Amino acid sequence: MSRRLLATALALLLLQVPAPAAGGASQEQQGAPADSALEAAVRAVASQIRCVVCQGLSIEDSPTDLAREMRQLVRDQLAAGKTPEEVKEYFVARYGEWILLDPPARGFNLTVHVLPILGLVAGAVVVGVLIRRWTRAPAEEGGADAGETLP
Amino acid sequence: MTGAIGRVAIGLALALSCYGVIAAVVGGLVRRGAEAWRASARGAACAVFLLYAVATFAMVYALVTHDFSVKYVAQVGSRSTPLFFTVISLWGALEGSILFWGFVLALYTAVVATGGRGQARGDLQRTYATATLLAVTAFFSLLLAGPADPFLPVSPVPLDGPGPNPLLQNHPLMAVHPPLLYLGYVGFSVPFAFAVGALLAGRDDEGWIRESRRWTIVAWGFLSAAIVAGMWWSYEVLGWGGYWAWDPVENASFMPWLTATAFLHSSMVEERRPGMLRPWNLSLVVATFLLTILGTFLTRSGIILSVHAFAQGPIGKYFLGFIAFALIFSLALLAARSDRLGRGRSRLDSAFSREAVFLINNLLLTAFTFTVLLGTLYPLVAEAVRGVKVSVGAPFFNRMTVPLCVAILFLAGVGPALPWRAGQLAETGRRLRLPAAAFLVTAIGSIVLAGTRDPYAVLAFGFGAFALVANVAEFWTGTRARRRASGEAWPIALVGLIRANRHRYGGYLAHIGVVSIAVGIAASSTFRQEIEATVRPGEAVELGAFSVRFDRIWGREEPQRFVVGANLSVFKDGRPAGQLDPRLNFYRSSEQALTTPAVQSRATGDLYVNLLAFERDGSSATLHVIIEPLVPWIWIGGGIIALGALIAAWPESRRRRLIREAAQRPARPAVPAGGAEGERAAAPVAAGGVEP
Repeated sequence: MSRRLLATALALLLLQVPAPAAGGASQEQQGAPADSALEAAVRAVASQIRCVVCQGLSIEDSPTDLAREMRQLVRDQLAAGKTPEEVKEYFVARYGEWILLDPPARGFNLTVHVLPILGLVAGAVVVGVLIRRWTRAPAEEGGADAGETLP
Repeated sequence: MTGAIGRVAIGLALALSCYGVIAAVVGGLVRRGAEAWRASARGAACAVFLLYAVATFAMVYALVTHDFSVKYVAQVGSRSTPLFFTVISLWGALEGSILFWGFVLALYTAVVATGGRGQARGDLQRTYATATLLAVTAFFSLLLAGPADPFLPVSPVPLDGPGPNPLLQNHPLMAVHPPLLYLGYVGFSVPFAFAVGALLAGRDDEGWIRESRRWTIVAWGFLSAAIVAGMWWSYEVLGWGGYWAWDPVENASFMPWLTATAFLHSSMVEERRPGMLRPWNLSLVVATFLLTILGTFLTRSGIILSVHAFAQGPIGKYFLGFIAFALIFSLALLAARSDRLGRGRSRLDSAFSREAVFLINNLLLTAFTFTVLLGTLYPLVAEAVRGVKVSVGAPFFNRMTVPLCVAILFLAGVGPALPWRAGQLAETGRRLRLPAAAFLVTAIGSIVLAGTRDPYAVLAFGFGAFALVANVAEFWTGTRARRRASGEAWPIALVGLIRANRHRYGGYLAHIGVVSIAVGIAASSTFRQEIEATVRPGEAVELGAFSVRFDRIWGREEPQRFVVGANLSVFKDGRPAGQLDPRLNFYRSSEQALTTPAVQSRATGDLYVNLLAFERDGSSATLHVIIEPLVPWIWIGGGIIALGALIAAWPESRRRRLIREAAQRPARPAVPAGGAEGERAAAPVAAGGVEP
């Protein structure tokens, strides 16, 4: 046991691995069922904020130390009475809009929010029209014109 | 030496694939001596495959023998990497993965070129399909000969290399996920080639759809398995307890899956009603192929950051050029043939029919693809237009696509219950009675018993049960009918039923797999419980019914890494329930420690424990304990889908084919005059005859 630990310590020293933080901020969620409303709010905000060292994970999902610290920051601010919007603005002010995983729906960003819905609606109209037309088509050889089959 | 062999093989493959394109096209155009040209193109396709086999084997040999004079080996090889991971590092970085891609493509090309029975062997459509595949092979050969040359000599020769990316040597699933992905991704070139072949050959019968559909099932099956294997890898390696992050490259693999799924459904309409939806079906096949190339471009160009993005380099420009060429070529071809495409009878007997459900299915899947494409590319667009970096991640994609997923689940249950042509309300109502009851019981149960509040989760469970019962009922009623008719035992009747109509029952099985995955995802994202705590030896972390006791920390030196693990004892409801040992891996080549979470699987879900940190003297460990309900059903669902695809794609026995063709002959009086080249009478699969 002690030899293994020594080996561990040695290896870590050799590898120059920063000692992972134990204790400190790591008592998340323990013994705090009373704060479940706060924790739910933290989860809601944290899942919107991008972990800056990961590939597209939120700080809610990311297992990295940095994400844990950022999560703690969210918790502290919410506990201090800030609204979720204010917390998000705090991060945007520091990291830019990039930090939000769901781009705020205003200005040019509206395209990414609205186009999928417009596309679905337009497609639904096309499919509806085609079904109507095709069910009314005469029983024999309906498609003389090429345009008819092009959805 | 090994490097030289590889380079020569690639150079010859480039030359021969270019020659093969020319030979095939000439063989398609000339009147005299066409067969000789076509045979020559077939020979070229086989030779290209052999050359790729040589090049790939040379690379594996160079990796295994640690030949650091080869650039790729110097990049990803290391004497301390275990043999297994050395071999699979073939696809661990840019150049090797392109080489492997070329190998798989050359394999498909050779199979297509020499495939087909009797007269179909050298027919015009197949000749042009071979030309198309050889042209794509030529493009990849060009990459390998130039900007992505893996065999480039290195001087001076290094003594050792850094080894593969630690993420890629941390789990054996890396031996499974990439090859499956390539088999799927590259496989979509084949239906594309048959579509182009049919258009070039000017065929206006539905013969193309048979080949395209069969090959799409093959590629789709591989891709489905690959995507699920990738999710599993993410779950087992990345340590966040999740499996899908809407990462750009995950999206890139998902988009062709969506369009191919749409094609698998809409092509059935064309099979039954010759010519109907043909332009749409051709577009889906073309879109699927282009999305695979786009996905490769996104991964390989480094334009979008992701776990999968390898390196920035000139290769992006080549891909962009190729996408542009393929897009323009396909659109021009579709436009040039548009006069022939609309000849089919586009008619529906009723809006209340399976055909109509397939149209809606296509609408949803296309909208899904469009949403994912837009979300994936939007950061690039926003940066170009606004000059601001933005992110589009899980919250966006979930919000946009979960409603679509729920609707698709519903359709997966309705479709099988509706007949082709025209359904009767009363009859369909009777068939959907049991699934509807399952919906109600599950939806109400999930609200009352499990306390689900999210309406989409309730609908996902409800429609999951609905679709499951509807699809299982198809097996049940079919087997029962067969048993009544033949008096066979249940298992024999079931096997006989599936064998008599593999496409249909393979498809239903795939539906069941999709339901399994959907329910696994819905449950694990709705009912996930987690806790993070720092504990001393002997102390336990409590979560739900589980108690996880930390016993001790251990460390172990391995050639390529140092491993630190925690021994944990699990108790469920106070009773011992096994041991777990989550680990942290410190690779020499990486600053960040990689996690190996420990997972205990049950049918009801996983207990997932990740070691986040530890005190060097072993006095404490920080654990992340997660209860992940029903997660194993996601992997099982992947297996079910793959099995369904296997059943549907399994080649027909000669005896059955002869029987089927004999049965179809009277149904289709003559081969249309336009389809020269001695086409087979590839009739729509026994229209109507398969319905009970």
